[in-house]
Amino acid sequence: MSRKHDEWGWMLAADFFFAGLGGAMLAIAGIADLFLGDAQTSVLGNFAGAIFIAIGAGLLILELGRPFQAFRVFMNPKSILTFGAWNMTFAIIAGLLFASFGITILPWSGFILVRKFLAAFCVIFGLVVATYPGVLLARHKARPFWNGPGIMVLFFLSSFITGMAGHILSGYVIGESSWFIAEGYIVSSFSSLVLQDLPHLTAIMLLFQLIFWAGYIWIKRSGGTEREAEAAQRWVNGDLSASFQLGFILLGTIVPIVLLLFTTPAIHSVGACLAILGGAIMRYLVVRAGEDRTWLPGEQKYRSRLPVGDEEFLKVWK
Amino acid sequence: MARYAMVIDTRRCIGCQSCTVACKVHNELPVDMIYNPVTTVGPTGVFPNLHMVHIPLLCMHCENTPCVDACPTGASLRREDGIVWIDEKKCVGCKACVMACPYGARIFNQEKGIVQKCDFCLDRVEKGNIPRCVQSCHQKARIFGDLDDPNSEVAKLKNSHHTVRLLDELGSKPSVFYIYGLEARMK
Ligand code: SF4
Ligand code: SF4
Repeated sequence: MSRKHDEWGWMLAADFFFAGLGGAMLAIAGIADLFLGDAQTSVLGNFAGAIFIAIGAGLLILELGRPFQAFRVFMNPKSILTFGAWNMTFAIIAGLLFASFGITILPWSGFILVRKFLAAFCVIFGLVVATYPGVLLARHKARPFWNGPGIMVLFFLSSFITGMAGHILSGYVIGESSWFIAEGYIVSSFSSLVLQDLPHLTAIMLLFQLIFWAGYIWIKRSGGTEREAEAAQRWVNGDLSASFQLGFILLGTIVPIVLLLFTTPAIHSVGACLAILGGAIMRYLVVRAGEDRTWLPGEQKYRSRLPVGDEEFLKVWK
Repeated sequence: MARYAMVIDTRRCIGCQSCTVACKVHNELPVDMIYNPVTTVGPTGVFPNLHMVHIPLLCMHCENTPCVDACPTGASLRREDGIVWIDEKKCVGCKACVMACPYGARIFNQEKGIVQKCDFCLDRVEKGNIPRCVQSCHQKARIFGDLDDPNSEVAKLKNSHHTVRLLDELGSKPSVFYIYGLEARMK
């Protein structure tokens, strides 16, 4: 039996990653605009936030069994996925409109009040989009690794880390190709206080992330149920441990902390890339950890005896 | 309005998997999909006091349905008579319900791109018949009926025996009740 029958695939993990990254980028851009003024984040970063959410939505659609019926996911207001789908839609629209204010040749770019409203929408929808995947997973009572508010905090933290890293990277990229700015087509964010401070802030958040993850695994390992402890064990010395420890903790958290403490923008951008990579690895591993369900009596033995990989043979034989 | 439920008397089940096969045939399931597996716990104990119990599993037709709450399309529904079913026309195969179900009762059908599950043989129940697995069980280990009818066999069994519901601590309130037979077998 293939595992596609009873679990989400990597595209859902990628959707969670892009939603978190894009949602946090919009929220950061909105907060910076509302409280610190114009051009605190780069135009590229503002557009990228909305585009990343759209990529996440696209992957979510591709993950569906019937992608052409995707419009139906907007139908049940009681479902958290419906809530997420609507918020992603609103965030994409608000994000693109907000980002367009950075293109000075557009006639509406001078309407400050409208920009402020859009910044507020970016904060609201961006925060919801960055948070809802964590809430969605936390509510799964029979998935011991996900269940509980902890996963929501970890997702939220990772979203903001990747969001900040996204802005660092966008600021660097647009700084390196500044012809549009020199010609006056787009607003310059060269003197942005936010962009200057983001590397150190990201390093601090990465440190929090390290501590929170250590605590999370420790709590789950000594957790309330045997299944919870077993699920956490996979991250310590099981099949997920190498990717978690080398990919996420070392490459995606510790190395970026060091790189972001330097003062060179090019090194910051490498650190930002690694922090983003870490966020992607973490989402993938967490979604995979959803395989662990609280077993019913005798179920584990039963499932372990089902043939794996024989589906094609059986279909041909039929 | 009826309130459908099933009592499974594990003292009677011999683990022959007839119900599993009958269900697969009735629902025309692909080779790699099973709605109601029969698991085995044991043998446990020390010779000569060994015991083993077979546990038929299926959708528990929960009263508090995490699967229905998770479904973004409204394809997963719970009827007033307690039967939880999927409107296949509306399902987009997002697997939100698969992940939300604590009992592993929902399966993604790769050929159709939708999720499917046991619906207590809704087509048969609507015509006044019993589900196919219940009909096929030669040991009468599966008993189906209306819990609100005090004269029904399910209501009598549920009221006269100590029954348990699987993962009851999760609060999903299943409509499938188990009579465990370990103590009875030991005697
Ligand atoms: S057993 Fe699973 S699919 Fe069936 S009603 Fe309960 S939660 Fe839904
Ligand atoms: S797979 Fe189908 S029934 Fe299940 S939640 Fe998605 S749309 Fe609803």
